[in-house]
Amino acid sequence: MNQPNHPPPAERWELRTPRHPVNRRAVYWWMLQALVFNGGIAAAALTVRLIWPSTAGWSTPALVLALLVLLVALFVEPFWRYRVHRWETSEHAVYARSGWLVREWRAAPLSRAQTIDAIQGPLEQLLGLATLRVTTASSGGAINIVGLDHATAQRTATELTRIAELTEGDAT
Amino acid sequence: MNRPQSGDALAEVAAGGNWQQLSARMIYVDLAQSLLSLAPAVLALWILPLEVGPSQIWPLWGLAAWGVLGAGHDAWRWVFTRYRITGSHVEIKTGLIFRQHRSIQRERIRSVDIEAKLRHRIGRLRVVQIGAGQQTSASEAALRLDALSVQDALALQQHLRTIAAVSRTPVAADARSSAAIQRAEKAPEPREVFATFRPGWFIYNMFNIWAFLVAGGLGWGLYWLLSSFGVDANGFILSLLDWESLGVLPTILIAVLALGVFGALGMGVLYFTEFWNFELARVHEKEGTMLRTRRGLFTTVEVNRDERRIRGLTVSEPVLWRWLGICDSNVVTTGLDVYSMKDPTAILPRGPRSTHWPNASKVLGHTPDPFTSELRPHPQSALRRRLAWATGFSAVVGLVLWWLVQAQVIAPATLWVLAGVWPVSLVAAVVAYRALGHGLCGDYLVTRSGLLARATTALQRSSVSTIVVRESLLQRRLGLRTVSVKTAAGYGSYDTPDITAQHALDFARQCAPGILEPFVARAGEPATDPHSTPARRGSAPGSV
Repeated sequence: MNQPNHPPPAERWELRTPRHPVNRRAVYWWMLQALVFNGGIAAAALTVRLIWPSTAGWSTPALVLALLVLLVALFVEPFWRYRVHRWETSEHAVYARSGWLVREWRAAPLSRAQTIDAIQGPLEQLLGLATLRVTTASSGGAINIVGLDHATAQRTATELTRIAELTEGDAT
Repeated sequence: MNRPQSGDALAEVAAGGNWQQLSARMIYVDLAQSLLSLAPAVLALWILPLEVGPSQIWPLWGLAAWGVLGAGHDAWRWVFTRYRITGSHVEIKTGLIFRQHRSIQRERIRSVDIEAKLRHRIGRLRVVQIGAGQQTSASEAALRLDALSVQDALALQQHLRTIAAVSRTPVAADARSSAAIQRAEKAPEPREVFATFRPGWFIYNMFNIWAFLVAGGLGWGLYWLLSSFGVDANGFILSLLDWESLGVLPTILIAVLALGVFGALGMGVLYFTEFWNFELARVHEKEGTMLRTRRGLFTTVEVNRDERRIRGLTVSEPVLWRWLGICDSNVVTTGLDVYSMKDPTAILPRGPRSTHWPNASKVLGHTPDPFTSELRPHPQSALRRRLAWATGFSAVVGLVLWWLVQAQVIAPATLWVLAGVWPVSLVAAVVAYRALGHGLCGDYLVTRSGLLARATTALQRSSVSTIVVRESLLQRRLGLRTVSVKTAAGYGSYDTPDITAQHALDFARQCAPGILEPFVARAGEPATDPHSTPARRGSAPGSV
């Protein structure tokens, strides 16, 4: 009873790989983020270990763990992400794939889009990158395409906004 | 300051939207409240011949101060609050020191609800809440008119609702709308009653984790009340049993049990006060239908939910009370806060399966009925994933315990906890797996999942705004994916975890017709874009 009924093989479909990769500089962006966040945690563990030697019982394993995570976040995650993160837009929808350990495909029609913006954080500004953010009426339904070239993100946002305004409907 | 109180709100509108005051009866009610709140202190001090020290009298003074200050604040509010309804806006001005002027565009008004606390009901007053479609999270408070006379409140509600709806239709003319008001006022509302108050349901509302909180609150209040009248509650409890010979553990057990029983009784009583006179009905109005619940013994609450904004319904069954058949039903709608303590989306009090399921079907009113449709079970690999997580969780717990034992923080015997943790988490995995199910039923998608509360949600497919397919490393090994639909209503996100990768895509495509169509390809077909080929190969290393 718990066996899934597979549809006939002729009807097998799969999610297409989105057309465009993100900008190569995104790899550095993810590295910088890891340096700031995971590096911060490792530094905190190191500080505790050095200042209070009596905590060695737990601060040494914590430090080792933090360093391992930092290494992975620096040298594995960015490259892995670069291979997964892809995106494309059409006249009617936005489609993106993201993640590394957990991959995620997201699609939203432009008729449901409420805001379409190119946004830049401080690190992104440093690298000339931007995030294309498409929000819908659902709080969990936003599509963030990170690591785009700033000009590309700007142009796409403008273009999509123009298309979305032509689309009918109240987006809820 | 002596304005006519029973003045018709509609007449005021016709007069061009003059600023109006809240009902002056508030002042009398406030006066009565101050006197009443002083009464216990006076009673204890001068009338009853009680020996009360300062430590026993302060709660009474606190109560009195609270009552008098509250009443004073209310009177202050009455003096400085003005509201008016113009052709396009509802405006309210409050405060002298912190002046506020808020306005809501009438066409944005989504709900006009009436409620009343006991003191309002005694004074024949009602609180009117005007909501403008606040989003579920980070909501701005609705406009509150606290309080108007009953007639004014009802007239205002009727007026705002009718106009709000009429102005949304393309041919909105003032003459037409005022005619609509009059018709709506005269005609009795046709309504269809789904459920009414059932005294026997108190049993379903007694068993709840909140019981302990209620018990704590009640106990604390009672303790202070008794001690301020010179009754030694502490000594009474101590004299009940020989606590010292019992030991620590039995004492704790007895205390928890007693609190639980006390709290459960409290919850039972609470059920009667909260749901007295309960009624769930569909009310037909000029502009559409409302799903209305009204309830309350002392504090009456009426919630009107515009059915055009309802996107679906969730029936959830808390796992610990599955044997009792307890259910909760909540509508999935935009504009109502799902996290609110008042639980405005709940259409029925906690009750038995035999009432909740049929009513859920009736409220949805869709054929075929999503709540009786056959749900598809999830593949066995979903069970394997849950068992793996349960084992992993137990392993982490074991590792931490083992480490603590090594560090001599806890006794080695504590490791026996694992003998409980692992089997329990395995059972939980099986329970969670058995809860899984999903399907499609006409305009609705149906999905069921949840460990602590098995929630079955039927959601309109047309309300899906974003579709998400997710796959973790473990899921990829097992050939599973999670389909998550995002919508503006309810919790905003409804997941169907762990269905086979192939079926996940089919289901996702059907959940949100059209959204995914441009982004799917026949399996094995070469990608249209040459650039995507290496990434495709690279993105799935070691896939099985």
